Amino acid sequence: MRTARRSLRLAAIEIAALVLLLAAPRFLERGTLNDIWNVAFAVILASAWNLLGGFAGQVSIGYSAFIGIGAYTTALLAAAFSFVVGLPTFRLRGPYFTIATIGVSEAVRLLAAGVSFTGGSSGLRMPAGSFDFTRNYAAMVVLAVGVVALAAWVKASPFGQALAAIRQDIDAAEALGVHSSKYKLLVHALSAAIVAVAGSLFAINFQYISPGSVFDFRLSLSIVLMPIVGGLGTIAGPVLGALLFGYLQIKLLSSPGLRDSYLFIYGTMLIAVMLFEPKGLLGLFHRFLKAARRSFSKPVPDAG
Amino acid sequence: MPADAILSVRGVAKRYEGLLALAGIDFDVARGEVFGVIGPNGAGKTTLFSCLVGAVAPTSGTIAFRGERIEGLPNYAVVARGLVRTHQIVRPFREMTVEENVSVGAHFGAGRRRKEDAGRRVAEILEKTSLSRKAGGLAGTLTIGELKRLEIARALATEPEVLCLDEVMGGLNPSEIQEAMRLVRSIRDSGVTVLMIEHHVHAVMGVSDRILVLNFGRKIAEGPPSAVIKDAGVIDAYLGVE
Repeated sequence: MRTARRSLRLAAIEIAALVLLLAAPRFLERGTLNDIWNVAFAVILASAWNLLGGFAGQVSIGYSAFIGIGAYTTALLAAAFSFVVGLPTFRLRGPYFTIATIGVSEAVRLLAAGVSFTGGSSGLRMPAGSFDFTRNYAAMVVLAVGVVALAAWVKASPFGQALAAIRQDIDAAEALGVHSSKYKLLVHALSAAIVAVAGSLFAINFQYISPGSVFDFRLSLSIVLMPIVGGLGTIAGPVLGALLFGYLQIKLLSSPGLRDSYLFIYGTMLIAVMLFEPKGLLGLFHRFLKAARRSFSKPVPDAG
Repeated sequence: MPADAILSVRGVAKRYEGLLALAGIDFDVARGEVFGVIGPNGAGKTTLFSCLVGAVAPTSGTIAFRGERIEGLPNYAVVARGLVRTHQIVRPFREMTVEENVSVGAHFGAGRRRKEDAGRRVAEILEKTSLSRKAGGLAGTLTIGELKRLEIARALATEPEVLCLDEVMGGLNPSEIQEAMRLVRSIRDSGVTVLMIEHHVHAVMGVSDRILVLNFGRKIAEGPPSAVIKDAGVIDAYLGVE
């Protein structure tokens, strides 16, 4: 069966990636590991967001809220909070849902800056002591590989089929028995919990968090842009997008003149994707593959 | 409500801001029959189906399915109880294959089948609706006749006791209509009660045991096809009177 062979191939790639990434601290220096850490963080955010935005078609621009909540507390609270967000906002459809998510995440940011147990807008310093970068790194790469595997599993399951049905025609999905609001809430909670775990690893690594860093609206935007640029609703797309964004971020941050231009660059890429290849980098790759195959398999017809 | 009625509709009305789409309809459908619903454009036929399955909530009235009141339940919950409808304007999941479209119904309908079991059931239904050869193709690439059959196949996959068909013969050629009539009969013979809205009067007369005629949201006739066709009110509604 084609799907069985496919999932076997994916499993092989995943295991190889996991082994390499976990062995990396033995060979690579701290700076490179930091870069991998950043990319893994991006892969988690992109793949987790893709569960809701790519599979179920519910575009949320409020995901920094979950990173932030995860950074300040735990994944469980973020999953609970995803219901608080989801219950009222999933009544809204399409762009209206998207706009509402911006409002909710901004509200959470303001709340975190306003109350005292979060340290207000000046933020919180993590308790000093038992921090170990290698362990944090291992957790981050395991989570990154795990999220990609989870996404592949969801996509192939009836749950994934329900999400695809909801994305393509929510009324037709309901007419066939799909309890759309239940599945939207479930995938939102799953996705939010993953993002929150990444957020807490982020907080531990930096030893310091503030509402301005973890609830940043620009972070929310990046999370959306990575899967879109890579290939919305696919497994490899968000990973590709995260690799590209992670790489760019590292390059841009190291050149002072370009440091603040990243949103401009992301925006340009987004417009290019929307205009020329809605399926993103992955779509571009498939198109290239098709063209290459055609030119190989069909020799130029003989003259005459 | 008669003992053998699987569906009992009483005083169902639907008002859309100033427009009375249904003005209080009463009828019963017996288990195992083919029940035709006809009427001119705008008579309220599709609105009636939407109310039955819970796609819209009726403004007033009651709907009993197997003795249980279902009016006001959400669509998915009605499907789970075994009452499903097709759409007059087809609504395939265009980015899914034909097979995946049907398996959504098998996984989430009244049958709630697990993976392998659902696969077997989907294959049977594709065979029955002559879609087996298209199983792996994307739904977006089907012809209108195939899309109409896909609507039926998806609804059947939910394993309904009552199947509401909304103009599944619209846009079909005469031989396809013959084929569709055979399909409706075989669905009935498999034990599923069928309600069908149809503009193609000859076809609906040919397969229905009883027919309900609507005009301007009201019931103007109900009975066996032979009686309904002679009804003066029905002739007026279709041919028009001053």
